[in-house]
Amino acid sequence: MVRVVGQAGIPTIYTGSARDIIEAVKPSRAVFVNFPLGHETGKPFDKPLQIAILKAAFETLKSAKLPGTIVDLPYQWRDGDDSWEKDALKRGEWVKSV
Amino acid sequence: MCPVKYIELTMAKYLAQGFPAYQWTVNETAPWTPFTKRLEECRVALLSSGGISLRSQPPFNPGGRDDFSFREIPRDVDVKELVINHNYYDHTDAERDINCVFPIERLRDLEKEGYIGELAPFSYTFMGRIFRRGALQQEMAPDLVRRLKANKVDALLGVPA
Repeated sequence: MVRVVGQAGIPTIYTGSARDIIEAVKPSRAVFVNFPLGHETGKPFDKPLQIAILKAAFETLKSAKLPGTIVDLPYQWRDGDDSWEKDALKRGEWVKSV
Repeated sequence: MCPVKYIELTMAKYLAQGFPAYQWTVNETAPWTPFTKRLEECRVALLSSGGISLRSQPPFNPGGRDDFSFREIPRDVDVKELVINHNYYDHTDAERDINCVFPIERLRDLEKEGYIGELAPFSYTFMGRIFRRGALQQEMAPDLVRRLKANKVDALLGVPA
């Protein structure tokens, strides 16, 4: 969707939490937020974090020079604890039976 | 940090269910429209694939596949009026605070602050999970483009879910 919009004359910025999918889709510009799916623009009720993610996205909109730019944002889901990534691997609930 | 490999895992899951290997679209190049306006003068719209709708609208089918419909969400919506129907991501937190996947209140804050010019009169939601790439590219996406241009949108923030 954002590719067609980006082609049609409207600049786009994409905030995603699946880096491999961002790389395959190649939107014009993207920021990557390494959070579980369903939290692409932040944690619940964490207004400063949500604002920070959006501002990082808009700064990328302003400054990106190359199509396909992906900026990795530094926010951690749980400081010093990546175990949620393994949980995501196990649960795989984004793919229910088709 | 080891970002989750969603493509590999999704393919493995489908294969395990007996489906043939899914042909992920891997694009060679990225599209490009230069961003030339000042952000403080821009009208920004939001696009979400999170299956979000107004209570007053027909809900999305949460198992939907190749659902080409949109919902238009007015900029000043009371977020209590938004509902999520989508089986393919965990929206427990988004139901508590929609801004996790549909940051409409935060965009209103950024407008008030003068960081963006304004939030567009309408933002758009759909289901994602579109496998018919031709119809997406030739019908659904151009329809969105028409709506965005009719609303004089200067930039689009796309948030998958």
